[in-house]
Amino acid sequence: MALTLLHRHVLDDHISGFETNANPNHLSVFRRPVIFSVLAKVGQERAVGAALEAAADIAVRTCAPGEWLAVSQTSGSETVAGQLSAIVDASSVDQSDGKVLLTVSGPSVRKILAKCVAVDLHPDAFADGHSTNMLIGHVTGNLARTGADRFEIIVPRSFAGSVFEELMEMGREFALTAAFAGD
Amino acid sequence: MASLISCPHCGTRPKEEFSIRGAVVARPQPGAKEDAWYRYVFIRDNPKGRYQEYWHHAAGCRRFLVVDRDNLTHEVFAVTDATEFAKNAEVAR
Repeated sequence: MALTLLHRHVLDDHISGFETNANPNHLSVFRRPVIFSVLAKVGQERAVGAALEAAADIAVRTCAPGEWLAVSQTSGSETVAGQLSAIVDASSVDQSDGKVLLTVSGPSVRKILAKCVAVDLHPDAFADGHSTNMLIGHVTGNLARTGADRFEIIVPRSFAGSVFEELMEMGREFALTAAFAGD
Repeated sequence: MASLISCPHCGTRPKEEFSIRGAVVARPQPGAKEDAWYRYVFIRDNPKGRYQEYWHHAAGCRRFLVVDRDNLTHEVFAVTDATEFAKNAEVAR
């Protein structure tokens, strides 16, 4: 019997039916990002961190000392796995199916996030390129600033629906819209 | 979210991100007397005032921290990574 496996994004049910024209405040969901978790051997945190930063087409998200998420929206998972396995004293695991990547952007993005995050997101305290783990609406996720009014959130797949609904609720007064990237 | 803890790795965070894992008590040597183990497992001072506890930063860096604080005024004196704390204790001994 032929078995056809379809890829369905966990937020497919949440997003269908929403308006498609993006407002200035917009939440965008990536269908298939490549996300690896990377751990450094004890004592090798600096070297591994530097090697990760140097890797092409990989955005690095800090989780803890010696622990990162490597995110790529352009490379395939084999390419990223190859790049990461070339780093000495680091071990990496593909988490792409277990994590969901959301991007929130727009002029009111800090006001929206201020309602579900307890960290100071002022540019002086949380500069462009900064990333860290935190509670995002009662869920542990990774928040990164990728621009002046642009943040990326990585949450576990099973919690993505809850985080998504919460963000949309917080963004309702700012007319936050949501869609899959590229749709 | 009034109680703020300054995690050495993540910065200032609300207490909701942490899980308190109990008093900092030195573990006895494997061959220690039963009495020492009994004290280690069951006996706590429960002071009103300054106290050292393990806090697990469950929603952040997931590291164990040693929080030195006053449990009456909630003044925090120091927050150290538990690994650092153990190293310093080793040196002091």
